[in-house]
Amino acid sequence: MSQNKKFKRKATVKVLEERCKGCWYCVNYCPTKVLQVSEKMNAKGYHPPVFKENIDENVVCIGCHLCELYCPDFAIVVEELE
Amino acid sequence: MSQMTDMRKMEEEWLRTERLPHVWCPGCGIGIVLNAFLRAVIRRNIPKEKMVVVSGIGCTGRTAGYVNVDSFHTTHGRAIPFAVGIKFARPDLNVVVFSGDGDLFAIGGNHFVNAARRNHDLLIIAVNNFTYGMTGGQHGPTTPTGAYTTTTPYGNPDRPFNIPHLAISLGAPYVARWTTYHVNQLQNSIYKALNMKGFRVIEIISQCPTVYGRRNSMRSPMSMMEYFQKNSVINNKASYEEMELTYNGKIVVGEFRNVGGIPSYEERYEEIIRRAQE
Repeated sequence: MSQNKKFKRKATVKVLEERCKGCWYCVNYCPTKVLQVSEKMNAKGYHPPVFKENIDENVVCIGCHLCELYCPDFAIVVEELE
Repeated sequence: MSQMTDMRKMEEEWLRTERLPHVWCPGCGIGIVLNAFLRAVIRRNIPKEKMVVVSGIGCTGRTAGYVNVDSFHTTHGRAIPFAVGIKFARPDLNVVVFSGDGDLFAIGGNHFVNAARRNHDLLIIAVNNFTYGMTGGQHGPTTPTGAYTTTTPYGNPDRPFNIPHLAISLGAPYVARWTTYHVNQLQNSIYKALNMKGFRVIEIISQCPTVYGRRNSMRSPMSMMEYFQKNSVINNKASYEEMELTYNGKIVVGEFRNVGGIPSYEERYEEIIRRAQE
């Protein structure tokens, strides 16, 4: 994912884990793949996505809000920086 | 703060967040449609007290319970008659009927046909998931020919409803069809329709991985979305034959009809009241 270095970080993705049902549309439709399926479970037993930027700094969120639009459970909040 | 971030914040106000997570299955498309609808309403700057959401029974019928505006969860198939009543009592309100295919076209089929014929001022958001989801996946009037459901284990012999064709033939001024894959187009379509008068129909092809997909070799939510992605074709000038849905075939989407200037039933009724008073 080194090609993503040319993009500037524009936003962070906050996942409201208690609402997630694990369909992973967000993980699949993200153009820069900033989300990944996490190991931990929420109260209902689903694996919510985790924001990869905190783990891997080469992955950059460009703030397109597509994950927010595709989330059927209103579980994603994209917070733009500045 | 950007516009999109503000919109997400407003969306939380339009939802009854204390009732979330909602009852819909993982990957259900109704949440995507509701998301697009709320964003379109926020973009239109419609105040909460000027909006009414009416739903029937079924998975999509649950929508009325999640929007933080005055909403009606009506009897099965009767969402449109309730909405017509609301519109007559309070013509200043924006009345939206948010219901499923079984509710609007099977049990409430006659109400749909007659409300469209009279051109009532309603926005119909019809979520078509090809099946009766809540009762366990029986075949319905929108199940494509040959599809496998719990009640058609050897394939469905019926022909499905061609909803855009039906609505256009009855003179609806705005008719569109999208899938849940087309999130932005769907949002723009609802945004456009909210500013129009008359019987506006938006059909949304939605996924039901739990009871429809798993019997038709699309077990996961993603595989149903991939089916929509690969097979949908945007064609605003599609013929009626092309609009027909076939089993695992092409889904023709687009804005099939967008005409203005047709008086709605409420406008004609006001005219009659005025003439009678003279």
